[in-house]
Amino acid sequence: MRWICALIQKDLLQTYRDKLSLLFTFLLPVVFTMFFGFLFGGVEGSSLPVAVVNQDPSGGTAAQLLKILENSDVVMLVQYDAKEAERAVADNRVAAALIIPRGFSSNTSSQETTSVNIVRNPESSGGRTACSAVRQAVGRVNGGRLAAQTALAALFPGIDPTDDPQRWSRALNAANAAMAKPALSIDLQSSGARAGEIPRGFDMSSPGMLINWILFGLLGSAITMVIERQNGALRRLLTTRVRPWQIIAGKGGAMITMTLAQQVVLIGLGQFAFGVHYLRSPGALALTMITLSVMSAALGLMLATLLRSEAALIAALVIVSMVLAALGGAWFPLEVTGPTFAAIGHLSPAAWVLDALRAIILRGWSVGQILPYLGAAWGYTVVFLGIALWRFRFE
Amino acid sequence: MGFIEADNLRKQFDPPRGVIAVDGVSFAIEAGEIYSLLGPNGAGKTTVISILSCLLRPTEGDARVGGNSVVHQAAAVKSLIGMVPQDIALYMDLSARENLVFWGKMYGMVGAELNRRVDEVLELIDLKDRQRERVDKYSGGMKRRVNIGVALLHRPQALYLDEPTVGIDPQSRRAILDAILEFRNQGMTILYTTHYMAEAQELSDRIGIMDHGRMIAEGTHEELVRIVGEDAHVQLSVDRNLEALMNVWPTLDGVGTVSAENGKITLLVHDATSTLPYLFETAQREGARITEISVMEPNLEMVFLHLTGRALRD
Repeated sequence: MRWICALIQKDLLQTYRDKLSLLFTFLLPVVFTMFFGFLFGGVEGSSLPVAVVNQDPSGGTAAQLLKILENSDVVMLVQYDAKEAERAVADNRVAAALIIPRGFSSNTSSQETTSVNIVRNPESSGGRTACSAVRQAVGRVNGGRLAAQTALAALFPGIDPTDDPQRWSRALNAANAAMAKPALSIDLQSSGARAGEIPRGFDMSSPGMLINWILFGLLGSAITMVIERQNGALRRLLTTRVRPWQIIAGKGGAMITMTLAQQVVLIGLGQFAFGVHYLRSPGALALTMITLSVMSAALGLMLATLLRSEAALIAALVIVSMVLAALGGAWFPLEVTGPTFAAIGHLSPAAWVLDALRAIILRGWSVGQILPYLGAAWGYTVVFLGIALWRFRFE
Repeated sequence: MGFIEADNLRKQFDPPRGVIAVDGVSFAIEAGEIYSLLGPNGAGKTTVISILSCLLRPTEGDARVGGNSVVHQAAAVKSLIGMVPQDIALYMDLSARENLVFWGKMYGMVGAELNRRVDEVLELIDLKDRQRERVDKYSGGMKRRVNIGVALLHRPQALYLDEPTVGIDPQSRRAILDAILEFRNQGMTILYTTHYMAEAQELSDRIGIMDHGRMIAEGTHEELVRIVGEDAHVQLSVDRNLEALMNVWPTLDGVGTVSAENGKITLLVHDATSTLPYLFETAQREGARITEISVMEPNLEMVFLHLTGRALRD
């Protein structure tokens, strides 16, 4: 074991000396996480800004509708005038605009059919989500009214329920109170999202960029290995007391240590600086981190084994990491790409690890729940390692 | 019985059709002896040294180091040898000390013993003052010294040096050759490969000459030179009357055989210094002028030329 530790220590020291490698390992991932985090963010935040143009400020039904929306986790109401609201939607400053027309409340009180207006960008998923939240609130208002109406009709058949405003008001209040705590409810979960929440920008970018840049963490160790083979140091090691398998284990161990350190930094930053909930399931997170590091080390060993020159290795690492990451959904969620691309994307091992990470972040999945994803990643690991061991050359 | 013994070593890469790099090589090196393998590039020297270092398994035959088989007792062999490869097999972004500490650990050394030995080796290779500088800042000669120092860390009984003076300045080369002689004086057995005839001649107690994977001659320098006799080779060109001189020169005292090829005459002479004036005198008498002349005293280059028909540098 002490030979393996000495090999790991030596490789880490060399990586530490290589400033370019440190740049790729720590600095650039943070910059890109922030960039993509803000890019994914915007109107896709946990509280979608919705412009409200209330032209019925004194109406009771309008107030009730707005109160329901104010209590929503999905939207955040911002007051606008009519002209500015439409411009805000066009500029993507708000997800949608809700316009409550004059006389809205009195129309509903007199049992006339009336409606609110919603302005949204049809291509914006945030707009669709905001629209859905408004529909839900309108449904609540309608539901309360219908319940009160039905109850009064049953108790006082043949009498118009609004004939006695006091009785109508009491019935409506009772119905709305009951609607606030319904016996039957829906636990709504968006795909890949926390219950009651939708993914925020950093929920997408942090795990994505983690996987995208993890291979770059291998750059130092992998290049060291290629140079060692070129200058005969790997071969020279065989004249010492260290055994061939210990040399390969030392190389792999250095890569695993490096990528684990990289993950600790990037996940810590995600958790504490960007508010990504990595620690919802610590056991599952630890297992996913180990899986990602071992899989990346196996891939790094394979590339460093197959490629003979430093330039070829750098080019291959850049291309492989970018393709695997992009295909695996590190740059954009596979959910938005359609079933065909999502299926192709899962040919990339990155997709499986990313699925596990997002399940931990957004749903707090346990070790048992993420095992199928990690099982696929371990399958790739065995293939990469098998090729590395099969083709490994000391000179 | 030698400390290092090679017995009918044969190495074929990718058998049955691959290149035969070493073909039936046998030799023995006594303890405390410097033995040089001399031969052109591709002669099989590095393959032999690789087999003796347990880096390559021979296709046939075996070798023993300190009585241990390189095939069956590799661990024991490795503990007895220090290998200095032809390449600078070091970590350029680490300092000399960091390199030595790392390699010491690879030889199984730890703690105070490792640090003490690293200090001794740094003293030995004369790099104590610059031990904390990165190796890539060193000159070629300094890198070579660290390369040798690594092989000395575990106090090996035998040291293999594979062309350790390639590409360095004369001063560094001199320092390395002196160090090798000093190692021998301390009782170390040295196996040295080179294609520089002068190095083999200066250093070696015995020399093995290799070509095309075979050992074509072996012995002390004197024994090898005796193969081509005691005569010096004088090669010259004349401007006219070549045929007349070919008849006159064999009759001179001290001149052996005379031959001509492509307008150049080669003479074997017992003593070049006393014979040369007579050659000029007779040429003048025959109305000819010597336009070019070279003298080769008997040496390993001539031995190689004699045995293979090619110059060593080819």
